[in-house]
Amino acid sequence: MIELWYALMALMLTIYVVLDGRNFGVGVLHLFVAKTPAERRQVVAAIGPLWSWHEVWLVSFGGVLFVAFPRLLAASFSGYYLALFLILWCLVLRGMALEVGGHVNDRMWHSFWDVVFTVASVLLAILFGVALGDLARGVPVDPNGNFSMAFFTNFGVRGNVGLLDWYTVSMGVVVLVFLTAHGATYLTLKTEGPVHDRCAIIARRLWIVMPALFAVISLETLFVRPALAWEMAGNPVAWLGILVFLAGAVAVFTGLRGQLERRAFIGSGAMIAGLLATGAATIFPVILYSTLEPENSLTAYNTSASLSSLEQALVWWPFAFGLTCAYFWFISRHYTGKVKVTEDTEGSY
Amino acid sequence: MGLAWFLVYWKWRALRTEDERYNAAVRFWARIFGLNFGIGVVTGIPMEFQFGTNWAAFSRYSGGVIGQTLAMEGMFAFFLESAFIGALIWGEKRLGPRTHFIAAIGVALGSWLSGYFILVTNAFMQHPVGYAVTPNGSLGLTDISAFLSNHWAWIQFAHNQSAALVTGSFAITAVGAFYRLRGTHLDQASLYLRCGTVVGLAASLLVAFPTGDQQAKMVARHQPVALAAMEGRFHGGPLADISVLGQPNVKMRRLDNPIQIPGGLSFLANGTFESNVRGLDEFPENDWPDNIELLYYAFHLMVTLGMIFIGLMALANLQRLRGKLETSTWLLWPLMLAFPFPYIANTLGWMTTELGRQPWLIYGLFRTSEGYSKVVSNGDVIFTLIGFCGLYFVLGLLFLYLVGREIYHGPQEEAAHD
Repeated sequence: MIELWYALMALMLTIYVVLDGRNFGVGVLHLFVAKTPAERRQVVAAIGPLWSWHEVWLVSFGGVLFVAFPRLLAASFSGYYLALFLILWCLVLRGMALEVGGHVNDRMWHSFWDVVFTVASVLLAILFGVALGDLARGVPVDPNGNFSMAFFTNFGVRGNVGLLDWYTVSMGVVVLVFLTAHGATYLTLKTEGPVHDRCAIIARRLWIVMPALFAVISLETLFVRPALAWEMAGNPVAWLGILVFLAGAVAVFTGLRGQLERRAFIGSGAMIAGLLATGAATIFPVILYSTLEPENSLTAYNTSASLSSLEQALVWWPFAFGLTCAYFWFISRHYTGKVKVTEDTEGSY
Repeated sequence: MGLAWFLVYWKWRALRTEDERYNAAVRFWARIFGLNFGIGVVTGIPMEFQFGTNWAAFSRYSGGVIGQTLAMEGMFAFFLESAFIGALIWGEKRLGPRTHFIAAIGVALGSWLSGYFILVTNAFMQHPVGYAVTPNGSLGLTDISAFLSNHWAWIQFAHNQSAALVTGSFAITAVGAFYRLRGTHLDQASLYLRCGTVVGLAASLLVAFPTGDQQAKMVARHQPVALAAMEGRFHGGPLADISVLGQPNVKMRRLDNPIQIPGGLSFLANGTFESNVRGLDEFPENDWPDNIELLYYAFHLMVTLGMIFIGLMALANLQRLRGKLETSTWLLWPLMLAFPFPYIANTLGWMTTELGRQPWLIYGLFRTSEGYSKVVSNGDVIFTLIGFCGLYFVLGLLFLYLVGREIYHGPQEEAAHD
């Protein structure tokens, strides 16, 4: 039961990162690929009317974390206190830029919200990357299962670590480039004209540097937490994740060469999903590894809710999951193909 | 939440009658709804996370129970709303009238479902049911149907949703009155005045009776100490008076300058004038709500405003039935100026229920003083509080500016689609 809920949580987080990661990537590129008001509407419309549906995956992930692993939620949210609030503020600003950026037809209004959109997206991509790095590196969990982490301590990766160190920051940069490449691939799929051409060039350049970045971050991870390599080698699910990741990489590569935009985008989504699945499978059952004492680590088993709570939640969860997929299908079929700004009632979408 | 069903109704009328007026109304109010929704979403997401960031001990203790409804709110309600909101505001041309109507229903249902789940969560904190204490000392859910059908939740839901309808209909009435007084968008103005006042009166009555009355009886039964504090009743006994005016003096344990209706509180709480209503002196002082004065004023102001809403809307409907509402300038002015007061009354209602619950986070089980995140330092809390104050202040200004701008520009009368 606990394993199942761990898998469902990983699934929800993966869906969130694939969907909203793409929006972060689009946001990062927004300032650089959209030069005119019409192009700007094209880019925002590509994220589409469903961006808040994407964000709800994060909220629902939080909700499921609450019901399935309340002690993990309590420890991690209060421990990541400042980082989490930075993320929340950036999400507020990103959401406002999307919601009201197109509300007033005025050049200054647009340029203000364009900058807010891009800056918030860059910060969000980096912060989520840093959070991922912290998950791989571990956090200073004390014997009571709590931790309180400063932004930075000595930038080292052992002992009393902070949010930022050389490892987590480099992870943040890798995730930023990764998501930007993901977003560029998506914009290539959804747009036409100059925006399409700019994004195609950017996508190609970013995907070329990705293998090098993956190699560097893998080596760094091996240095920071060597035990993970052995955990991964013996875990079939992790191998499956790696397989998905590699298949995605092949799809991106062939898609970019053959200008098969849909294949490239599905490939980059698969790369993200494969990477997260590998990570989730590798660290299991430890979720928050303690850099102070390994036995302080918070695991799926020592943070889960009571069995009856988990069972009751499993009654409604599949039903809700099916429903939300149905809504998505119902709405998104109206928005397939390239973005056509003229088809939408006036507004930012 | 109140506005959502107006959009559904107008969209339905537009489908049935092909009257362009209704489509224009939907387009206009959907833009305002979109701004409300946008600000609501971005400011609401932090709240979901604050359970973990600022109330970690509480989350650890009760996550197995209240996590259920918070997760359900995300999975059932937020997904529903967010899937359809973009389509409702911007997708009219792309979706066609029928799908656009479905989008309006989706958003309305989603927002009301969200209200239900969050009120079940709050009802559990007010009146816990369906739980058991697990071996490690935290709460586990044993009976999900008892938890979801908590009678406190249903009464609170009915009361809260009626109040949402009051808020929505007052806003619509106010905009109608504004256009009528300015002499612009007269067609739309009469539609808003008609729909706003009809729903406004019905909802104002529902807020008071039966929902508000039932809510008060429920507090009397399950939280007698909260009721005593709400009324500033320091000493118990039969034939309890209800105070119309008066200032609680906690130090001297009395109500200063009281003007009271004899037996009123007994009747309100128990249905008979002679019945006994317990006073604060019958409870240990560490179980008293922490801020009796604020609780007392919140409750009394809420009730007073509720009475004014009924009176104002009754008058408006009387004039409407006589065919004189649109020419009654003396009445249109107060109707226009009244729109902030339902927001205030809603806030006061939440203050009443939350201050009344103190000193408990979960009534009778878990104290507020035990629930906060112990690892988060005061400095961090104040830092983020200042950040939120600044950010939300700016968002508030932005909201007022954008909504004011929409209302000033008004609905586009001519059809915007081909």
